[in-house]
Amino acid sequence: MPDNGPRADTVTLTIDGREVTVPRGTSLLHAAETQGTTVPHYCYHPGLSAPAQCRICLVEVEGAPKLQPSCVTMAEDGQVVHTDSPAARRMRQGVLEFYLVNHPLDCPICDMSGECKLQDYVFDEGREHGRGREPKRVFGRDDFGGDVLYYGDRCVMCTRCVRFMDEVARDSRLTVVERGSRAVIDTFFDSGLEGASFAGNVVDICPVGALVSKDFLHKARAWDLDHTPSVCTSCSQGCNIELHTRDNLVQRLMPRENQEVNGHWMCDYGRANYEWMNRPGRLEAPMAGRGGERRAVDWKTALEHLFVRLQGGTGDVMVVGSAEASNEGLAALGWVGEAVGTVSARVFRSPRADDEEPLPGYPLLVRRRDLAPNVDGAGLLGFERAGDDTGAGGLEAVAGHDGIVLVLGDGLADQDVRFGASAGLFVYLGSFDSPAARNADYVLPVTTFAEEEGSFVNAQGRVQRFWPGLRPPGSARPAWLVLGALAAALQGGRTPASAAEVFAGLEAGCAAFAGLSYDAIGESGVRLEAVHG
Amino acid sequence: MAITVKVMRRPEAGRTSYMRATLKGMSLTFKHLVRPSHVTLQYPEEQPDLSPRWRGTHRMEVHADGRPKCVACGLCPTVCPANCIRLVGGEDDQGNRYPIVYEIDEFRCIFCGMCQEVCPVEAIHVGQHFENAEYTRDRFVYDLDRLMEQDHPSTLLWDPADPRSE
Repeated sequence: MPDNGPRADTVTLTIDGREVTVPRGTSLLHAAETQGTTVPHYCYHPGLSAPAQCRICLVEVEGAPKLQPSCVTMAEDGQVVHTDSPAARRMRQGVLEFYLVNHPLDCPICDMSGECKLQDYVFDEGREHGRGREPKRVFGRDDFGGDVLYYGDRCVMCTRCVRFMDEVARDSRLTVVERGSRAVIDTFFDSGLEGASFAGNVVDICPVGALVSKDFLHKARAWDLDHTPSVCTSCSQGCNIELHTRDNLVQRLMPRENQEVNGHWMCDYGRANYEWMNRPGRLEAPMAGRGGERRAVDWKTALEHLFVRLQGGTGDVMVVGSAEASNEGLAALGWVGEAVGTVSARVFRSPRADDEEPLPGYPLLVRRRDLAPNVDGAGLLGFERAGDDTGAGGLEAVAGHDGIVLVLGDGLADQDVRFGASAGLFVYLGSFDSPAARNADYVLPVTTFAEEEGSFVNAQGRVQRFWPGLRPPGSARPAWLVLGALAAALQGGRTPASAAEVFAGLEAGCAAFAGLSYDAIGESGVRLEAVHG
Repeated sequence: MAITVKVMRRPEAGRTSYMRATLKGMSLTFKHLVRPSHVTLQYPEEQPDLSPRWRGTHRMEVHADGRPKCVACGLCPTVCPANCIRLVGGEDDQGNRYPIVYEIDEFRCIFCGMCQEVCPVEAIHVGQHFENAEYTRDRFVYDLDRLMEQDHPSTLLWDPADPRSE
């Protein structure tokens, strides 16, 4: 057909009797999704190319001689598509039966059970009973190296893992060997996936239980896990993640899609760095008194006494923040410092890696040098970096300061027991006790990011919120609540009831955050540049 | 709805006789004196005949080599309405998934038998058993070894000859 005029940017078609208008170049699978129909698919993944080889997304297009793979068939004007016609259903049932010819029925011992696409599709549309009489072929399992284990019997040959390593990680370490029913995924050399920095993603994208994480193996069932949206704290990229928790313990971290930060992916370093959130030995009660005089007190006593001491405090204030603390905690720390006197030092320390490590096929995602989530937020809030690239040193002036010293979130691991000995008032807010907090007049237990609500600013200048997934231990409270209450008492304001209220105060007081609100940030975050032009 | 008060009308003191009710009760007593009831079971000399569907304390089936049949799939703690099963799965030295910890709190259990019904490998069963006396309360949390030691018959949740009750 001659095509003379300019083509419209959108096409209108009918899917399952409903008219849909989508941009030109949209696949039928996507177009169906916009009107709420999910077409089953294995080989197609939104972050990868579509080879149309799993044959389960076939849909009926009126006028086409055969069923069409919806992941690669582009929507055209006037198409009439049936995703659920008898022909499409019959075809899907047939394809699923072929998948089950060799797929073991080992759902009870399979780690993917509960989030497995084969399980879901067969439950929805599969035959009630299998008709296979022949024994199933058995491969056993293969250690791919790194954190990845491969169960060949369960594989449906979608090749998502192979394409991820080829297209996104650009590190071709996986391939399909053999053909037909003997085909398996395999690695090339003995090293396998060992040392590949993004290989953990193949476990996430595997639609069945063929690729499983060694770390998560047999640890929890998918339906027992609670999912909490959060932000990865392992570097300043701030990949959007989900905390998967059970029994008040983080069981694993999974990437959460955000096309402007991390796509569908996250690095293995971040994925594996969750044990510290479950670490025992936390500070659980506020404590008052230096050295041997230290004793546990309740929050009311601690804050009232601290308030009196701060009111009568003399000398200037030195504030040590942390790039692992939320914007709200750091802001409230600043408010307390400013309410008491002149803040002569406002510093944070954070370790830095030697190199950045980008994900080649998704250049937005870079494992950053700064190994803390809120380096940029701390910078915007007036904190200056101190110390070296291991996150040590730089606190000489604070250690011997004779005024007021406030420390939030910094473990002071490199400092000795003389830290703060000469301070007029030394307040230590942290999740874990530290030998260097021996001279603290008040040790106040605060929650980690996994136990509180708050926000970070990532290396792109993007404000991102996180939500609490764990219950805090003992009487630990969010730093923004403790410091917000103190600041409110000192300045004569109202104690903040939520992190959103602290953020509102931050928005009013700090030009960098002007015009933002928690509602506007939402789950996917907002770039500060986008707000301020 | 308005509250209504029901007033009980009792006979006044001294205006009623209990003679008739007393005689009625005594007649029953004498009847049993001359013709004893056959309902009473002389337990423990005589043991009751339990129904094949009796749901008592649990037992775990074992393989011929002594391993538990349980594969730690997690369905029984999921389905348990009383939340009385604690399960921690793991992998043994042959690469089989097995329960590292499997505990049932028999006090908490309501003996519904859903754990047996849901089990994909017919490992956990409720049993035809009711004599569970112990000296301490904590003995009622049965661990895996204890469950495997139990030798009473398993419950038949349905008659194998008539699975659909026809």
